Amino acid sequence: MGPEFRRNLWLELSTQRMVLALILLALVFFAAALSGRDGVTPAAVATFLYYMVVVIWGTRSAALAVVGEIRDRTWDAQRLSSLGASQMLWGKLFGSTVYNWFIGGICLAVMTVHAAVHRGPGAALMDLIYYLAIGLIAQAMALLASLIAVRRRQSHSRTEIFLYQFAGLLAAVAVFAVWEAANPGAALLAKVHADVVPWWGEDFAARGFLLVSLAVFAGWTLLGCYREMRLELQMQNGPLVWLAFLAFIGLYVAGFDAFLSRDSLAAGWDAVALRLGLAASTYATLSYVMVLLDPKDRVHFRWLGTQLVSGRIGAALMGLDSFMMSYIAAFLSSAALVAYLLTRLPPQSASAALVAAGTGFLTRDVAIFVVMHTRSARQRGDMSAVIALFALYVLVPSILDGLGMARALVLFYPQPVLPVWLSPAIAWVEGLAVAAFATRRIALTRAPAADG
Amino acid sequence: MIEVHDLVYEYPAKRALDGVSLVVPQGTITALVGPNGAGKTTLLRCLAALEMPYSGSVAIDGLDTSKAPRDVHARLGYLPDFYGLYDALSVRRCLTYAAWSHGIAPALTAAAVENAARRVSLLDRLETRAGELSRGLRQRLAIAQAIVHTPKVVLLDEPAAGLDPQARRDLSALLLELKGAGLTLVVSSHILAELEDYCSEMIVIEAGQIVGGKAVKVKDIERPRYLVELATARSDLADFLKGAGLDVAEADDLHAVFAFTHNRAARAKLVRDLVQAGFDVAGFGASTKALEESYFAQVGKR
Repeated sequence: MGPEFRRNLWLELSTQRMVLALILLALVFFAAALSGRDGVTPAAVATFLYYMVVVIWGTRSAALAVVGEIRDRTWDAQRLSSLGASQMLWGKLFGSTVYNWFIGGICLAVMTVHAAVHRGPGAALMDLIYYLAIGLIAQAMALLASLIAVRRRQSHSRTEIFLYQFAGLLAAVAVFAVWEAANPGAALLAKVHADVVPWWGEDFAARGFLLVSLAVFAGWTLLGCYREMRLELQMQNGPLVWLAFLAFIGLYVAGFDAFLSRDSLAAGWDAVALRLGLAASTYATLSYVMVLLDPKDRVHFRWLGTQLVSGRIGAALMGLDSFMMSYIAAFLSSAALVAYLLTRLPPQSASAALVAAGTGFLTRDVAIFVVMHTRSARQRGDMSAVIALFALYVLVPSILDGLGMARALVLFYPQPVLPVWLSPAIAWVEGLAVAAFATRRIALTRAPAADG
Repeated sequence: MIEVHDLVYEYPAKRALDGVSLVVPQGTITALVGPNGAGKTTLLRCLAALEMPYSGSVAIDGLDTSKAPRDVHARLGYLPDFYGLYDALSVRRCLTYAAWSHGIAPALTAAAVENAARRVSLLDRLETRAGELSRGLRQRLAIAQAIVHTPKVVLLDEPAAGLDPQARRDLSALLLELKGAGLTLVVSSHILAELEDYCSEMIVIEAGQIVGGKAVKVKDIERPRYLVELATARSDLADFLKGAGLDVAEADDLHAVFAFTHNRAARAKLVRDLVQAGFDVAGFGASTKALEESYFAQVGKR
């Protein structure tokens, strides 16, 4: 048992709290058993309590695991300890939520016994894995969100803590939705229910596929927490894990080409093009997510520039931010898709142009986030960038469209216009111009010496 | 013990440390002083491997903080200017957790906890909750947590802030005891008079740079500083003292500050020699403001 977990046990799991929880749970289950009302059984109440205590309350406990230490000014002492990143991570993740799991474990026992008696041991085991997974993934996601925020040096207002908890709850909703989609008896998502999942041309049993997927994503989430914890403990992370994640997520999402409808953009695309398109879209989405989440530290940008200028390419590559690697993956996969579309017979120039334009606008948008960060404080920089993108994609195009100037929309996002090169040309001119401006801003914001 | 070479640390809109180089010898207590916003806390955090520098290097006990931060952490004790304690835990549990988290084996933990508690005079309060301690006692507990693993280097940021005079005196005694045990201490503070009690070296930092480029020796425990004052000005005072083999720190026509031995007979002889040489001695005694005088002599020299 690690020191961090032990300390959390001292703080969270006192005899008094355990006895109180046991008495309350016994009374609640007893009342449910006596109720006689439809749907009010000890198992149903246990399920409700499990979601409340492990998922909703548990995500808050996990969100506070590190943020609470910062708020109480004990985090620096922990960072100076000899604990390794994994020891600290497990101690935080399971230690901060140990009381939630104590109550949740009792509920889980009631639920599992009920499922085993009424639906058999196999179904009970599947349920047990699902409930453990949803709790663990939700809590790990809340902890991950809080650790990312700590690196962004924003962390402990009530609203911010709620946002980390919310990230965990979103993960729980996603897990619940995909699980229910493969539940033959579920009423909630009956319309999207599926028994099999087609992936890379093969059909897999839905529940088994989803369970494996959940386990893999839980692993990536925990790995993300571990890497963030390493950074907090001043250890350096290389780019390999993020590159491995990019490879995984690209391959994982690309396998779902059978779900795509052949709309106007993808009309005539074969499976290779569809899979490249899925991978490119995933990387583009990750670029937006990561450019929003990464600290976008001007000092780090300047350091990267210094490494590149002085020819230390290896050091610069080791220091790339996640959003930079995601952008590079989006660029490379888009370039591969464009090349593939243009070399097919007949060449699909129109859709290739749209893909090229999309990459150009992605370049512009990522650069906008960087520019905004050179102009204002971190949070305001992100908010300014989001507002700028809202104006570029929604506000100004709506006005132009209303004024009957639909042809001008090509200035804002990919448009199927003639000549076909026009949209990508405009997108890349804008992208390169904003990127050049961002680079110049970073160079110009060299910090003056401290003045006392 | 601590070697810093050309250290640069930048915040997004400000360079906080600009080419700092310094050496802190083993077994010393070094005062880190300077105006507000000069970069003292940032420098301490870089020394503690809590912040990674933009460029330059920091070595603690021969270990580079950017290459082996966790090994450096194991050799360090750090008391930040604003620190927290686990208020719901007893003093014993706070120290036990600190010991475990610094890698002290369970079999040795109880002894380490009691040793740290004894050093800060908290042995009689081991079962008291941290939240029930007074400010001075909380400060002692925080220091005990920082030294429970017997680090080689202890960094303290404003350790006396908010303490009453008795607690400050106890703190001075504790720091001298730690120095006596071979630890190297760096203490950042605004309160020069308090630093005077225990610091032997001083680093003045101003606008992110070390004033004068190095640490200044402000006190030698074996050879304390003395001040001689004359009633009548004599331009040869400094030359006379230097001729007597003394290390003169500063001098003018009316007074001189110099390092000299504790030995009473030697001091009596020096006074006799001064009088016999015709100096109109009006006062002779220990210089109690060495650090303050050095500080004001250094600030603004950058």
